[in-house]
Amino acid sequence: MSCHGAALQEKPSNDKMKILLMGNPNVGKSVVFSKLTGVHVDSSNYAGTTVDYTVGDINFGSKQGVLIDVPGTYSLEATNEAEKVAVSLLEEGADAVICVLDATHLERNLGLAFELKEYPIPVVYCLNLMDVAERHGIKIDAEKLSEELGSPVIPTIAIKNKGLRELMEMVVKLSKEEKEPEPRLDEQERWERIQEIVSRVQTKIDKKELTFIEKLEDWTVQPWPGIPIALLVLIASLGVVVGGGKALRAVVLLPLVKQVIVPFLTKIVSLIVPAGILRNVLVGEFGILVIGIEWPFALILPYVFLFYVVFSFLEDSGYLPRIGVLADGVLRRIGIQGGNIIPMMLGYGCAVPAILGTRAASTHKERIMVASLVSFAIPCASQSGAFFALLGDRSIFALIFVYLLSILAILAVGLVLNKIIPGRSQPLLLEVPNLLLPDKDAYKKKLKLRMKHFMMDAEGAMFFGIIIAAIIAETGVLNEFSKLLGPFVEGWLGLPREASLSLLLGIIRRELAVLPLLEMNLNTLQLTVGAIVALFYLPCLSVFGVLTKEFSLKTALFIGAITIVSAFFFGGLFNQIGSLIIGVMG
Amino acid sequence: MPLAHGEKLSTYRIEKLPNSHLLKVLGFRKGTQFTIQSKQPFKGPIVVKVGNRSIAIDYDIASEILVEEVAHN
Ligand SMILES: Nc1nc2c(ncn2[C@@H]2O[C@H](COP(=O)(O)OP(=O)(O)OP(=O)(O)O)[C@@H](O)[C@H]2O)c(=O)[nH]1
Ligand SMILES: [Mg+2]
Repeated sequence: MSCHGAALQEKPSNDKMKILLMGNPNVGKSVVFSKLTGVHVDSSNYAGTTVDYTVGDINFGSKQGVLIDVPGTYSLEATNEAEKVAVSLLEEGADAVICVLDATHLERNLGLAFELKEYPIPVVYCLNLMDVAERHGIKIDAEKLSEELGSPVIPTIAIKNKGLRELMEMVVKLSKEEKEPEPRLDEQERWERIQEIVSRVQTKIDKKELTFIEKLEDWTVQPWPGIPIALLVLIASLGVVVGGGKALRAVVLLPLVKQVIVPFLTKIVSLIVPAGILRNVLVGEFGILVIGIEWPFALILPYVFLFYVVFSFLEDSGYLPRIGVLADGVLRRIGIQGGNIIPMMLGYGCAVPAILGTRAASTHKERIMVASLVSFAIPCASQSGAFFALLGDRSIFALIFVYLLSILAILAVGLVLNKIIPGRSQPLLLEVPNLLLPDKDAYKKKLKLRMKHFMMDAEGAMFFGIIIAAIIAETGVLNEFSKLLGPFVEGWLGLPREASLSLLLGIIRRELAVLPLLEMNLNTLQLTVGAIVALFYLPCLSVFGVLTKEFSLKTALFIGAITIVSAFFFGGLFNQIGSLIIGVMG
Repeated sequence: MPLAHGEKLSTYRIEKLPNSHLLKVLGFRKGTQFTIQSKQPFKGPIVVKVGNRSIAIDYDIASEILVEEVAHN
């Protein structure tokens, strides 16, 4: 996922074959889908990665068809938005269902398998994660299981592309057949039947020696040593992102942009465009081609890149839900259950996928709370990059202060929202996934796609912002605007008039609320005030869009209003207090 | 005894549990046996091991699940 809205897709037309990919959460459906259709969809090692369906084309020999990646469901009684999508897709009907089963948790997976048998649709079972099962000493007799279920069972290792061809051949064969729905078993009967099947088809060898991964799986859900491990992971991640980003910026990107690319563009433009306003707008000190390249590529890109390097790894490893378990006791106090820490952490990358990710949360209250917190107080990776550029070299304390403030704000706003939003949050009931070493190819692909999205999104929107900036600066509109806001910006926030530009551009993208301050020779107090205002200030246009789509225009406007008011209130307050202290001391 | 009062590494069997759909589909029923893998401070969740998978259960829910001890750690 990256900064983009969930693509709403057209429903496939009726004459094509339609195959649904269903199963419990986190069993590898999206991996199967990506491998079979070549359409990349996100897969991560936690429940609730897929929250909307994706349609992909696929050829069945001579016949054309579509495969649909469906959000995971524990059963067909939907408990959240994502599961509702799954159930309604099934109700619409299909030519066949591929039901993906997790070979490491067969018993739990068979519940859904039995529910699917009640539909008049042929089912092929894809017994996935066979490699992990083997590692756990679990053996499953696929043939026997197929006899018990009355449908074909194909063992697969989706991530290694093993068994998928057989799976497809079976689907083609089966989709031509008619299927009689089976009578509904009552709850107890079904349960007993499942127990019976599992005891017949599964053998488990108990190993005496725990492997290192198994030990780690255990440690990471214990307060000790789990909490110290979590802190270590956090510090190491910060080290890679902040330290690595700074190095990448200083050693590679800034020299490249400043000494090679910009001089080159300047030369070309100077050849074509005569000296004057137009040349200035293009390649002057703050020219579109100068800033339009330096800001996104040299200042923001390294941090965004390294953030996703670290975050994608953590996502695929299965570690994130473990942090949710450890943090649940604290988060519960602000009315959010621990599982929601995943969308919140996604928010440090980009708020759009974070808000979409809340669909896996079970109550509306939690969805609104997490979405508000992410919009309000969690800086996205681009904005963090801008903070590092602004404060990193000038005052490391100011930088730390801004992030502490963000955490304080999360807690404070959480407490307040928990009081004013009616309803309760659903208590935590979370399956902790196996720890897995991320698959190299899948990881690289995910990273590449995230960066591609960033490039298109960020570069597009930033260029747009920078062009607007150039136009309003050249046409004198900025002067008018600054005059209007001037007293407020100067008097209350203590920033120079031109800082109004930040406020204007910040509506487009979050980092643009910060970057113009770079060029204004501000003192440390002013820098900090600017950073505080930017932190709380409006989420960007895309976030506004996704809030409207997921909730309502009213909610989006409400969150927008709250963010503006608090940005000015806290920024100004800090300035007034800071000035007072400096006045007394100086 | 409520599951919330159970001890780490001891094994229990469920006697009575609230009628929750999610609990059921995650495999918790009367008679299910499991071992407590970890308990968290501040009334955080209790992680139990059923078979070879770990499931975190909110403290309040764990207080409503009544269990009988099968083996002490
Ligand atoms: N080792 C191994 N890992 C796998 C296999 N199949 C999938 N995975 C990993 O399992 C995790 C879950 O895969 P997804 O495809 O996201 O699962 P999903 O069923 O789409 O999950 P939801 O969308 O959340 O319902 C990912 O980290 C995959 O890389 C497999 O056969 N072997
Ligand atoms: Mg998925």
